Amino acid sequence: MQALPAKSQTQPFSFLEKIWRNYTLRTVIQSIFTVWAVITFIFFLVRLMPGNPIEIYVNYLINSENLTYEQAYNRAASQFQFDPSASWLEQYFGYIGQLLRGNLGESITSTGTKVIDQIMRFLPWTVFCVGLALLLSFVLGMLFGMIAAYYRNSWIDNLISIIAAILGAVPDYIWGLMIIIICGVQLKWFNVGDLRGTFDPSLQPGFTFAFIFSVIQHALLPILTYVMGTVGFWILAMRGSTTSTLGEDYVNIARARGLSQGRIITAYVGRNASLPLFTLLAINIGFVIGGSIIVEELFVYKGLGSFLFWSITQRDYTTMQGILLMITIAVVFSNMLADLLYSRLDPRVRISGDS
Amino acid sequence: MEEPILEFKKISRSFKKGRTVIPVLQDIDLQVQPLEYLCLVGESGCGKTTSGKILTGLLRPSSGQLFFEGRDVSTLKGADYTHYRRSVQIIHQDPYASLNPTHTIYNSMSFPLFRHKLVKTREQARARVAELLEVVGLTPVRDVIDKYPHQLSGGQRQRVSIARALTTQPKVIVADESVSMVDVSIRISILNMLMAMRETLGVTFVFITHDLALAKYFAWKGRIAVMYLGRIVEIGPTPEITLSPEHPYTKSLLSAIPEPDPDKTRTKEQIRLRSEDIPRLTELPAGCSFHPRCPWFVPGLCDKSVPSLEPFAASELRLACTPLSQGKGLNLFETRNLA
Amino acid sequence: MEDNLVLSVQDVSIIYQVARGNVKATNNVSFDLYKGEALALIGESGSGKTTVSLSFIKMLPSAAKVTTGKALYTREGKTVNIFELNEERMRAFRWQDCAMVFQGAQNAFNPVLKIKEQFFDTAKAHGWRKRKEVYDRALELLKLVRLDPERVLESYPHELSGGMKQRTLLALGVLLDPQVVILDEPTTALDILTQRAIIDVLKEMQGRLGFSIIFISHDLALAAEMASQVATMYAGEMVELGTVDEIFYESLHPYTLGLLQSVPRLERGQDELTSIKGNPPDLIDPPSGCKFHPRCDFAEAKCAEKKPEFATYEKEHKVACWFPEKVIEARQGLWEKAS
Repeated sequence: MQALPAKSQTQPFSFLEKIWRNYTLRTVIQSIFTVWAVITFIFFLVRLMPGNPIEIYVNYLINSENLTYEQAYNRAASQFQFDPSASWLEQYFGYIGQLLRGNLGESITSTGTKVIDQIMRFLPWTVFCVGLALLLSFVLGMLFGMIAAYYRNSWIDNLISIIAAILGAVPDYIWGLMIIIICGVQLKWFNVGDLRGTFDPSLQPGFTFAFIFSVIQHALLPILTYVMGTVGFWILAMRGSTTSTLGEDYVNIARARGLSQGRIITAYVGRNASLPLFTLLAINIGFVIGGSIIVEELFVYKGLGSFLFWSITQRDYTTMQGILLMITIAVVFSNMLADLLYSRLDPRVRISGDS
Repeated sequence: MEEPILEFKKISRSFKKGRTVIPVLQDIDLQVQPLEYLCLVGESGCGKTTSGKILTGLLRPSSGQLFFEGRDVSTLKGADYTHYRRSVQIIHQDPYASLNPTHTIYNSMSFPLFRHKLVKTREQARARVAELLEVVGLTPVRDVIDKYPHQLSGGQRQRVSIARALTTQPKVIVADESVSMVDVSIRISILNMLMAMRETLGVTFVFITHDLALAKYFAWKGRIAVMYLGRIVEIGPTPEITLSPEHPYTKSLLSAIPEPDPDKTRTKEQIRLRSEDIPRLTELPAGCSFHPRCPWFVPGLCDKSVPSLEPFAASELRLACTPLSQGKGLNLFETRNLA
Repeated sequence: MEDNLVLSVQDVSIIYQVARGNVKATNNVSFDLYKGEALALIGESGSGKTTVSLSFIKMLPSAAKVTTGKALYTREGKTVNIFELNEERMRAFRWQDCAMVFQGAQNAFNPVLKIKEQFFDTAKAHGWRKRKEVYDRALELLKLVRLDPERVLESYPHELSGGMKQRTLLALGVLLDPQVVILDEPTTALDILTQRAIIDVLKEMQGRLGFSIIFISHDLALAAEMASQVATMYAGEMVELGTVDEIFYESLHPYTLGLLQSVPRLERGQDELTSIKGNPPDLIDPPSGCKFHPRCDFAEAKCAEKKPEFATYEKEHKVACWFPEKVIEARQGLWEKAS
């Protein structure tokens, strides 16, 4: 006979282990750490770029207003809230200190403008444009991916798969260029110049039909470009996922149970096949914030992406930091969202996560 | 008694899954005698496959020691360790999964030959592979040697994996459910072949299966160890285990198995378990793990301490059951409660 | 007797169109299934037993085609040929008239729906929309398969063990009171004690609800215990059909005898087992005459030349063999009916 071995032993750091074992807490700690690491990295990275805001402006002044270097420098220094002689570490701790108080600081090149205000001005356009594109792309991808999987190895599947592969292989800005060149310049379906910006500047913003129409009109081409650039990926992902789901026993048995085709496609195949895609979707939401610099530049769409591009050319450190911080937080947050969403959608994860 | 070729001394093995520790094997003592037929029998989760992996060195025990030819395997180094690994081979359940589908049979089999420097040239390798394929009855060899696994039948594939296990001239082969995926009509020929290999090649077999009838056929002249939830509950000569078992779990198992004989199977005495739920390894019941299901459960006795494997009365059996080892015999739980 | 005929299968042949040619998966299979009967289709992998069963609910893979034959199904005096049902009538026929429980219930349930939803789904697909009624019926059936009904209905599939899922599937199988339940290897891959529970539950359900069973298995012991009729299939053909006693005690086909001689039996001492020689045939290019002749111990020249008819030997006992007398002689003294 032997007694059961004693199992629990108290360890000196058991409380730390307990914290670590709490899933939510651990995720939050990890996220905070990630954000801190990224902003630190960004902080030094932007300063490693050649030139600084003052030099860039000095060069501009010299070229445009024919000032001497001395004059230009003095003017630049007096306009900008930036002291190039301060050490990076000084700047860094100043910046972190501000951040902890929830302050993104002021723009270096546009004195007196808060970075957060600037971001809030450009962000909605990007979220609207890229978000809509992502949603559209996701829905289309699910639809065509499922169709391809259902008719796999038939001509429908071949057609969809080939188109998806081509769309997926070419980057979105190439599609943007092609749209402009072919549809705009060659075929003259629209006037490229008219579609610059986010809406027709002659209109007063408001809930008028003309304004909303103009907003949609201006966003249409960037959205089309984004969709073309991403839909291929969604189609192929959904096709793969559906194909493997169709081979599952429970789908076969659902047929044997006499369930209608509609019910099988939605609740049995669709729901299971789309599970992994929803995670991907949630992760992608993070990238909605940043948008695509190239596509926004291409269509002169005044979103956060083109604003980031502008702040980079101006070496506006605080603005760059602010935008990149936004993007970082969005990506980290959407990853957390993905985890959470998956555990909501898939009961298997829900249980093992709880216990 | 001869020195065992392989020996488990108080071997335990647990796996970690997240924060939980799963005790898969607990305090196993087991000797494998040279040239004996030993079967490990039990249901899924009993630890038989883990035992097989520990025997062959694919897994290390969490505690306890494995002895090979009298030497602690964990202390073996260099050539001695290689000698052990070569001497103990395993045949898996699914030959489809264990043979590389992109390699011909010759490729699959010559690789270990070259690796262990048992042959030097291609000609030697080919001759040796042919010889081994003949040993496992895959004749004519030229029909098989350059084929890919998918071109063979299930039985033939399993023979190939047996032949491959022989490439290193092992002393012990652990056969883990090796015929359970093979068609009924061919199973026996493979088992017979394994039994013949014991005579001609001097290989000791440890046969792992969930099928007591097969175990009985294979190890009639040997021993069966019945395992339940990580422990050996009864071990002894096969005829005794299969015809007059003493441990409640073995009795229950045997009564549950249908016979390929209509009259016998319909009139077979059924032992009704108290519960059909198998406890999880992570939430093992206190005391004897079988007590929540055991029809002969004795409250206050079986649920208090874990019984150890002890010799039983005058038989050659050793079993782990508290009421039996205290000489109390078995009384049905329900009937006693009614009385 | 004729009144109780549920399914009459006449001369069914099925081919698979594959790159190498046509595989004759099932050839001229005929049998009658009566109310409350349990017919076991016994055979090895590739014998066509699953293929023929799938044809009854029109769920053959797209490469397969029924080339000849009829499957006449009778309910309440009306008879239809299953093969002629259109898609919508077939959908209604499935599960309500003929439920097929596939091998391996591990994955039988949609992982994202609660068990009760899957019961509701099934009922709704057949026009039964009163959730309360369905729920009550489900409770009753789950109780019959010895599960805790409320708990199971509120569970997701992954919260149930393998044996529980198998039993839940059986309960779901009889939800719509089908006349025929097809069970494909209902106990394979389950543990012994779980298998026993399934067997007992099945017998009880059949006794209570009176449906007919076709079950597909390679496990002779299971057939001996469960079946009233047994059909042996070899290479896509039915080679012997009879009552369970006839097949097990008075077998007439060499293949049936070969199978019986190759399964170990627990209730007796040392087994004398023999394996059927050779390998299962290539179905694209099968042997001439009787397909079993290359593996048959009793074969003569005639066997390779001419295919024996599947004909009545005595009473309902049918066999396709030129020399059943040889089998009768060979089985003398091997085993007998106990009474």
